[in-house]
This record gives sequence, structure tokens and C-alpha cells, in this order.
Amino acid sequence: MRDFFSKRLSRRRLIGAATRASGALAAASLLPQRVFAADNVIKIGFLAPLTGDVAAWGKPGLDGCRIWGEWMNAAGGVDIGDDNYHFEFVAYDNEYDPGKARAGATQLIHEDGVKFIMMLGGDTWPGVQPVADNTGMLFSTLLPSDLSPETTTLLAPAEVHPIYNVTGVDWLARNRPELENYVICAQDDALGIPSVATYLAAFEAAGIEALDDPLLFDPATTDFAPVVTRMLSAKPDIVCLDTAYTDYVHPICEQLYLQGFEGQIISCTADFYDKIIERTSVEFAEGLVFQFPDFDDPALETQGVNFREPNRFFEEYNQRHPGEWGAVSWEYASIMDLWTAAAVKAGSVEPDAVLAAMKEGGTGLHAFGEADWWGNELFGIDNALVGNWPVVVIENGKAVIKEFGNIPEWWSKHGDLLVKHMEAFGQMHYQRG
Amino acid sequence: MTELLLQTIVNATYAASYLALVAVGLVLIFGVMGIINFAHGEFYMLGAYCVVALYADLELPFLLSVAAGLVFVGLVGIATERTLFRPMRDNPLGGLVVSIGLLLILQSLATLGFGVRMEHIPPPSQAVLTLREGVGIPVQRLNVIFAAVLLLGALWLFLHRTRWGFALRASAQDPEAAALQGISMGQASRIAVGIGAALAGVAGALTAPLVRTFPYMGHSVIIAAFIVIIVGGVGSLEGAVLAAVVYAFVHTFVTTFVDGVIADIVGLLLMLAVLIVRPTGLFGSRDRG
Repeated sequence: MRDFFSKRLSRRRLIGAATRASGALAAASLLPQRVFAADNVIKIGFLAPLTGDVAAWGKPGLDGCRIWGEWMNAAGGVDIGDDNYHFEFVAYDNEYDPGKARAGATQLIHEDGVKFIMMLGGDTWPGVQPVADNTGMLFSTLLPSDLSPETTTLLAPAEVHPIYNVTGVDWLARNRPELENYVICAQDDALGIPSVATYLAAFEAAGIEALDDPLLFDPATTDFAPVVTRMLSAKPDIVCLDTAYTDYVHPICEQLYLQGFEGQIISCTADFYDKIIERTSVEFAEGLVFQFPDFDDPALETQGVNFREPNRFFEEYNQRHPGEWGAVSWEYASIMDLWTAAAVKAGSVEPDAVLAAMKEGGTGLHAFGEADWWGNELFGIDNALVGNWPVVVIENGKAVIKEFGNIPEWWSKHGDLLVKHMEAFGQMHYQRG
Repeated sequence: MTELLLQTIVNATYAASYLALVAVGLVLIFGVMGIINFAHGEFYMLGAYCVVALYADLELPFLLSVAAGLVFVGLVGIATERTLFRPMRDNPLGGLVVSIGLLLILQSLATLGFGVRMEHIPPPSQAVLTLREGVGIPVQRLNVIFAAVLLLGALWLFLHRTRWGFALRASAQDPEAAALQGISMGQASRIAVGIGAALAGVAGALTAPLVRTFPYMGHSVIIAAFIVIIVGGVGSLEGAVLAAVVYAFVHTFVTTFVDGVIADIVGLLLMLAVLIVRPTGLFGSRDRG
């Protein structure tokens, strides 16, 4: 190259170079169209807290999606309509702030050109809803309590939080009938309150008595000793931690241990439960019931589970992000499975076509089996995919799936109780602001 | 019921201890420099991260890590005084802006260095001292109470029994008169900010295994500390200690017997009531000069 520039550019050399360049261009244009089609990229927006207090329910999900995307792309992408597509995730950290979530949604749609946006939801959804209304973009949330009759392009396809919590209580009532009463504490926010209503309904349905009103605490709480003292003063058989963030579950468990609690604990999540055991003991954590399995569980390799190679996914995830597996590590990836199947079915990546294909027939393949698009009675719209959900118990220091509880079955028997408690906390769709 | 009351008193005593350490440091800085240090909660956070780095990561002894936290954050305070606070001396608005900037910088540094997730710090001790049936105090919390009493006692002796202590008090009461008496205001400021920061740092270090340690952990502490110094009387060390005890007891009792959200509201109402009845706070003087 240096030689080329060091010599004087003669007419002969110029014509030669131009001819070679033209030839190369002509050859390129004769290559099969397929090569260029493979360069089609579907951009998927990831709008969740990646920093701050709630990052544990955003960042691990993005890490899981990146593994999912790499696997899909390595397998040649996906054929949608006449084209072949690869996946690219565009992340925006909303810091669990509605204003930042709105800015993020706007940027993802108008500047990045995404075709679908996955969110954690909760406090951030009200910031995004006007953007969804104006653009018709398809969104997903992990929190169906975001759904209302107005949220026509918002889906809750992976997680029916907090409704699945009923399966843990139901399992507990059947397997430990000697437990007669409980107390519950929760942070006072959009995640904690609907979950309190759900647990109250589940315990009432199971005939387990509440010893005290739900003890609500400020999300800024750092010292949980007073909260635990109050709960234990009622001498409960069961302490329920509601849907507390990881940063609360750990210190509350430690306080329960230090203040001598020896009863049953039930919690929506127990992320990084090995750290809880480290701060307490294997004996203390034995029997803790929660709702989010490790994906190395053999029960996930059985028929009916719609998640690609869950055990290998878990292994790969832990290799890349040691000690970071959490409740949401797999969830956003499972939403992508559902979205991809719908896009293939629709033959299009456009939001309205994918939405229509996804909800066609009123059923869909959820990660834990076949499920129904449901929610009209509770949310005013059938945009939550509801089916089975695992009940997980810590045994000898390891999370084990005990069963897959059937949420629609519980709802058919006790739906009125759930509506009653949701109404009492102002959580029905017609009560929300 | 007796058990519940006694356990709540134990919980409140612990809360009062670390809060008093933080609030007294904040008062000391304001008293001498006239600067409302919004980054004081981040000094507390830095102390906690010293324990993360030295005790949790490098596995050094816990007490050594706490001592290192005290010294390190004290030095950060001295550096802050020289570079940021001194040019803003007696300029409350400028000091406020500078301290908010410092707050953001320290939070960002902690985030860059350690990430945003809560740190898992192995408990140095899980022993519990049983006071009576149903009432106990974890040894780790007892250590915080002892350390707070010890450090605040030492500070009182320093302020009332040493030349530099007299100088600091004189600088807080009347800076001009103190300067005319030959007291170096720069030196007094450096000592005040160094000690104030060190107290916050040691509070953070001592409580690190007991609380959620993350880059934004200073928020809740600084809000409580501001309520405490307003109730106690801005500039009064004795007032800060008394108000820390009052606030911690009120907050802990309301959290236990009502709920935590109401407790925050009651804490603010307490401040409002004191401001209405006694605008200078329990021990405050009419003005700083």
C-alpha cells in the first residue's frame, strides 16, 4: 500500500485500479440475495432499571437476553416472512424512574427503530403509557398490575406478578397443614401493595389466619430490626415477605434469624439465597418457599416447559455472570421466545401484526406450559398470559421445584377473594389513577 | 407486651447511636464552617465501602477495617475542606451547591468501583446477647452502641479539655473574635471537617454489615440527620445527641407499633412541631455568629 502511494499515479495505473474496483462491485452484486438478507436486524428495546435499587430486576434480564440473542444469531437467526433476521438488543437504563422511562421509550422508538420494547414496568409504566398510546408500539411488562383497559399494546407474557404467589401459599397449606397463622410485611410501593392483596387472598383461601395487619415499611428503610420485632411479637407460624426487593429480603431474613424465628418463611423471591444462608444457616433457610427456580432444576427439562435448554442456559449464565442468577434472568428471554414465535406466525416484525398473532386463539406457550390470555376481571383486559407457575423450596441449601401450581384453577375457585382484597387496597384497574 | 417494649427500646438505642455519630459530625462542620454538607451521607457510605473493600474483599480483620474507615474518611474530609469547602466558607448557598456536587461525585465513584448492587458483607459475629426471654441484642449492634458512646465521649473531652477543642468551639461561637485571638481559622476548619467526616465514616463502617450497603445508602441517613440537627438546634452538639435519641426512639416506636411509612411522617411532624414551638431547635442559639 505504501508502495502504491509512493509512486506517481499514471493513467495506466488509474484505469487498472478503476477496472478492478468495478469488477469487485459487479461480483458483489451477483452474490445470492440471501447473504444481504441475513444482515436484517430486528432491534428489540430493553427499557428497565440497570442501575439503582431495582437494578436486580433489570440487569440480569438483559444479561439473559444477550445469551438468548447470541444463541439465536449463532443458529442462523430466524426466518420471518421472506426474510432472515438476526437480533440486536438496545438497552436503556430507566433507573426505575417514570420520566427516564418515557425518555427511553421515545429514544428507542424514534432514534433506534426498535420493533418491541420489554420493560420491568411498575412505577415506570405511567411514564411510558403516553408514548405507547401515541406510537402503537408493542410493550411487555413483568408486572400485570400495569394492565388496564387502556393499555391495549401492553402485554404481561412472562410473569403474572403477583398472582402466581397464590401457588406458593396453596402448596404450603396442603403440605404443612399444621401452620395456622401468619404475618406479612411489605414495602409501600407499586410492587409491594398488589402483592400484599394477593397474599391476603391466598392465605384466606387456604384458611390460614392473619395475626396482624400487613406491616408496611418505607422503601428507604435500612434497619429492619423494628419491622421484624413487630412481626415476631405476634408469634406467627409463618412470616411472609411479600414481593420484597432482594435488598430487603436479605436483611429481613437475617433479622428473623437473629431474633430467634424458627417458623416458616414464604417470599415471592429469594434471589441470591446462598447469601441468605451465608448470613444465617442452612437449617434456618430449610423449607423457605418462593417462586423462582434455578434453571438447573431437572424439573425444567420435562415436557411442557417452553424454554430452550434451560439447564444449559443456567450453566452459560453462571459462567458469564457468576453468582448473579436471579428471578428475572430468564424471564425477558422467555418473552423473546413468545415474541419470535408470534413474529414468525405473523410473517412480520411490525408491532400490530405480532400482537395479533400472539393473541390469536386466546392461548399461548408460556415458559411453564400452555397458558391463556387472561385478566379481564382483574385488569380490564386479557393481556396477561396465565398458566402454571413453579413452587420452589430450599432443601439442604438448594432451590428445588416442588410442583407447578395452576393459577387459572386457583382463580376459578377463589377469584372473588382476590378481587375483594385488590379492591380493599385500591388496586383494581378502575381504582387506579 | 413487655418483651415487645424492651426489644423496641434496644432497637431504638442502636438507631440513636449511629444516628448521633452522623448528626454530630454534620453539626461540627456546620458550626465551624457554616456549610450545610449534603454529602455527609456519602461520607457515611464511604466508611461502609471501606469495610466492603478491606473486610469483605481482602478479608482483613473487621476492627482494623473500621479503624481504616475512620481514618480514610477523615482524610477525605480534610481534602474536601481544603479544596472545596474552604473557598465557600460562610457562603451557605455556594457550600450547598459544592456539597451536592461532591455527593454526586462520591456516589459515582462508589458505583464505578463497586457496582450498584447491594454488597454482601459477612457478619463479623452472629452472637446474640439475651437480656431476658424474648429480648436480645446482637453483639454487632451492641458494638455500635459502645463505639458511639466511646467516640462521642472522646469528642466531648477533646472539645472541653484541649486547646484545639477550645479553639473549635470559639470558632463556632464567633469566628471573628476567634481569629482576633490568633486562632487559625483554616486549621480549625480542617480539624472540624476531618472529625465530622471521620465520625460519619466510622458510623458507616460499623453498621455496614447490618444495613444495605450500596452507593445510595447515604440518602436515608442524611435526611434523618438533617431532621436531628434541626430538632436539636443547628450548631449544637449536645442538641444533636439528644435529638438523635428522641428521633430514633420516636421513629422506632412508631415503626414497631404503627408502621414504617407513618414513622417517616411522624419524624417530619416532630421537626415541624419543634420549629413552631422553638424555631432555633432544642439547644440552638438565635444565630451562629
